[in-house]
Amino acid sequence: MINDFNTAAILAMACWAIGTLLSLFALRTPAMKLPGFLLSIAGSVIMAGFIGMYWVALDRPPLRTLGETRLWYAALIPLVGFLVEYRWKIGWLKYYCMALAAFFLGINMLHPDVFDKTLMPALQSPWFVPHVVVYLVGYVLLAASSVTALHNVYLQLRSKGNHTGESVSHFLALLGFVFLSFGLIFGALWAKEAWGHYWTWDPKETWAFLSWLAYLGYLHAFRYKIDQSKLQWYLALAFVVLLVCWFGVNYLPSAQNSVHTYTQS
Amino acid sequence: MVVARRRWFQIPWEFKESALFTAVSVIAGFVIQYAASGRGIAAPHLPFNAIALSLFAIVVISTGLTLRNTSIVKWLGGIPLGLCLILAVAILSLIGGVVPQQAVAKNSITGLLGLNQIFSSWPFAVTVLLFLANLGISLSWKFIPFKLKNLQFILFHAGFWIALSCAIVGSFDLQRLVVPINVGKANNLGYTMESEAPQNLPFSIFLHDFSLEEYPPQLLLYDPNNDKLLMDKSQAIIQVRKGTTGTWKGIDVVVLDYIPFAVPGKNGVPEPADRATGIPFAKVRISSDLSTREAWISTGSPMIKPDAAQLGNLYLIMVPGTPKSFRSAITIKDEHGHETMANLEVNHPVSFMGWKLYQMGYDEKAGRWSRMSLIEVIHDPWLPAVYLGFFMIMAGNILFFWNGIKRSGVE
Repeated sequence: MINDFNTAAILAMACWAIGTLLSLFALRTPAMKLPGFLLSIAGSVIMAGFIGMYWVALDRPPLRTLGETRLWYAALIPLVGFLVEYRWKIGWLKYYCMALAAFFLGINMLHPDVFDKTLMPALQSPWFVPHVVVYLVGYVLLAASSVTALHNVYLQLRSKGNHTGESVSHFLALLGFVFLSFGLIFGALWAKEAWGHYWTWDPKETWAFLSWLAYLGYLHAFRYKIDQSKLQWYLALAFVVLLVCWFGVNYLPSAQNSVHTYTQS
Repeated sequence: MVVARRRWFQIPWEFKESALFTAVSVIAGFVIQYAASGRGIAAPHLPFNAIALSLFAIVVISTGLTLRNTSIVKWLGGIPLGLCLILAVAILSLIGGVVPQQAVAKNSITGLLGLNQIFSSWPFAVTVLLFLANLGISLSWKFIPFKLKNLQFILFHAGFWIALSCAIVGSFDLQRLVVPINVGKANNLGYTMESEAPQNLPFSIFLHDFSLEEYPPQLLLYDPNNDKLLMDKSQAIIQVRKGTTGTWKGIDVVVLDYIPFAVPGKNGVPEPADRATGIPFAKVRISSDLSTREAWISTGSPMIKPDAAQLGNLYLIMVPGTPKSFRSAITIKDEHGHETMANLEVNHPVSFMGWKLYQMGYDEKAGRWSRMSLIEVIHDPWLPAVYLGFFMIMAGNILFFWNGIKRSGVE
């Protein structure tokens, strides 16, 4: 399976790389636009296909380890880039997204996951897939929001106005927040079935709550009409809290009591 | 737009005043915590906590409605204070997310300020109370006059208000007890995490049987000199089946035969046995550059010694698989003659007369041979209210998502 992964990852990265080159050529030669787009999409399709195969081979959803969540991330985040291009006619985000996806696959190639079919009883639940997938989609949207905000900050520093970019980072954050809320509540409903209580301030829960508060704060600041250009800094940095929640929690002193750290093989 | 050079406390109050007020409240919370020297908050139970919460809600909403034109109430229900309180909750949660939440020495700084139990500390309680007041006042303005376009706001914020307040107030009525039971015995005593004295339950649980199913055992190469398990070339956990192969540096292993339940037999050949007494045995062929040989290895059990195959300095061992599922066959009975038979499993709790029963654990030393089951029983009368809040938040979120998509077109 490890060889299959390397093949799929290299193929996907190649698709993204060539797709990126063709899309950049398309700025001059519009005929390159469609092949560029198709190749970029193909990268995600390959990863999605691999996730499907991996799922079958494992006999369980590949959502248990950090490495497995990175596979989903790699498949999904370029799609947000294409969505933004389709919805707001902003082309550059997809390049960041594909680079980010390739980065995550790179981590997985350097630290190969252990192929382990076992799934502990607490994870054998109908909530497992919706809880993790909803969170992944939320993280993907918020990562894209953060990248867009960072780009906006960069433009500001070069004193270029950028109204569209600010709208994009805002709406990606809004959609991401909705998914975070669902992920949080699905997690609570599942915890009630598996662990007996919906909320126990487990470190992972605490950090999930903190990430949610970070974006809740953003939405209220936006609502209060605080200067949008200042909020770009906030959005760019808010993602750091999510990263702590995603894998940083494992390294905190509080994590020793957590029932929720990802299995480290 | 904020007017340049606003003076402190110039009406209308804004972020400066909100930040000061919030900071003072949090500090006051810590002072109370310190003065109470770690003693928790007095906990009213049903029906008193429900009455107190209703009164609080009525006071907040009527204040919001009757005094809505005064500048102080406008500020109390406004976004600047709300944002400062969100920040305060976030900072307190950050403490809870970094400092291990566990018992510490009473006279340490952590213990005196309640940093090790931040979510039941005075500063957290004070902040959440103010937060609920702020949220409640802003809600009252959206209730009356009611407009359909306020629906999303009301669902989300009222849902959050209900879930948060009922979860916190309801925690005083939450009962979580662990009941250990041996096979063939009944028990009606439960233990809490805090005290060693058991409590009487309003029902008894009889354990008919406990059973545990494992994943197939794993093949591992063990280096006793470095106390390390060596990972095989394909980076896989090798589950033992007939035909399974494993490859390490210069060593190839094939499983020629596999018996899931067997006991040691004559001449080193195991004999098949039943589930209760048998353990997994595997016949492996080990090939290295120098030699090829075959051996029987086994996982061992509390009664049977494990067999490993020695390869120079290394050992090829087989360890039991991790638990796949475990369940308790039980009968629950109360004094009024109610009786339920159930199979309790992780993720499949059973309800009985307002209680929920969970398969929690077993005697892990005995593993598959455990004759004891740990069952957690939980009584949480506030759960329906909290869930109502959750579902309102989700409904509000769906509207938020929909409106967000609709409005997100950029000209």
